[in-house]
Amino acid sequence: MNQIEVIFTLNGKETKISGDPNKTLLDVLRDNLGLTGAKDACGGEGECGACTVIFNGKPVNSCLIFIGQVMGQKITTIEGLSVKGVYHPVQKAFVEAGAVQCGYCTPGAVIAAKALLDRNSQPSDQEIRDGLSGNLCRCTGYNKMVDAVQLAAKEYSNG
Amino acid sequence: MQGFEYLRPATISELKKDLSTPGARILAGGTDIVPKMRQGIFSAPVLVDTSRLESLDFIEDQGKEVVLGALTTHQKLADSPLIQNVNPALSAAAESVGCVQTRCRGTVGGNIANASPAADTIPPLLVYGAVLHLQSLKEERTLSLEEFINGPGSTELKPGEFIHSVSFTPLQGSWGSVFIKIGKRSGMAISVVNASAMVVLDNDGLISDARIALGAVSPTVKRCRETEKFILGNKPSPELFNNASEICRKEITPITDIRASEKYRIHSAAVLTRRALEQAVEQAWERKS
Repeated sequence: MNQIEVIFTLNGKETKISGDPNKTLLDVLRDNLGLTGAKDACGGEGECGACTVIFNGKPVNSCLIFIGQVMGQKITTIEGLSVKGVYHPVQKAFVEAGAVQCGYCTPGAVIAAKALLDRNSQPSDQEIRDGLSGNLCRCTGYNKMVDAVQLAAKEYSNG
Repeated sequence: MQGFEYLRPATISELKKDLSTPGARILAGGTDIVPKMRQGIFSAPVLVDTSRLESLDFIEDQGKEVVLGALTTHQKLADSPLIQNVNPALSAAAESVGCVQTRCRGTVGGNIANASPAADTIPPLLVYGAVLHLQSLKEERTLSLEEFINGPGSTELKPGEFIHSVSFTPLQGSWGSVFIKIGKRSGMAISVVNASAMVVLDNDGLISDARIALGAVSPTVKRCRETEKFILGNKPSPELFNNASEICRKEITPITDIRASEKYRIHSAAVLTRRALEQAVEQAWERKS
């Protein structure tokens, strides 16, 4: 198998990786680039959303994307959300609302929530539940996640 | 997972050339192929990545027809005001696929080529009589969506050929079109049964055109022509649609599988058919007034 070289923008920085084309974005984030925020919780079937990253502004499952498909694209992971050590409003809101229990789904849920708010800064509770329906959580029962996203939405509207 | 050669054509002519490589298969959104390759269910010596072919990602109102590029994502279909307007059934179906993460990757061309009996975008396209535009190095041809699909995962697509676009004609007059699905839950659910119906009413309020397509109840998405014939020319009524839902039971051949039993699917298909027809008629009345 011929290795391929992929250049893309990762958390604002131009990044170059090379690898077998059967590697997924999730594989290289975790194994080659040391970014372990995105997680594999369903065995790479795109069922659980724990590996969610933002791909050109849209939330996607990084386990369903071969590295070749990332060529020239902009990817943001959970590690790219805080700026100079200051957490993103969604991250702060998850802490404040207590929307975290075991934590395994949290990076994916935070990313999905950010992508939702970027698209719709004043979502209804139902829109939040729809926006997080691809992120399986087995601890929180989602109520506190919805609270967290509403809390973050307030900060979005305050600018 | 087996290895493969990875090609990234930048133009349609490069795509045609790359796809003519023996064993070449298309990678569109990857939401089905990537996990299947990892599980060893699917393999190909050459994978042709379509990421650079932005010219296949479009929704176009061409007046007489609406044309969808094969690489249009489910999310783009669901968000499109044009599609909400001319084919609300398709809009609802696209919105119901998977979750936002998979809708942002999965494409309408992929959904069709994958030819799952439970595919959500196929019933609304079938009731609009959608036509596929296929291309290869050798030829360009058109084929109706109904003729294109042979069975679960099996289509008329020849080696080296790809779906360029899919087109359908918007309905005229007092019409309604609806998509409903039953899944195990609302997020990430594969259809246990899905249904799409379209109805056109004439000036006297009689049904002048009707089409019904049911998913996940036959080897392919099933047009229920006997049911359609039964209601044609009649005045919509609860009794008519109750009787219609009894007829559609005999037109389908569901199986028992991991998601539901044959009996449950037949019952649900009848209920969904009745509801879809009722809702389509409600829409048609709104357009009439």
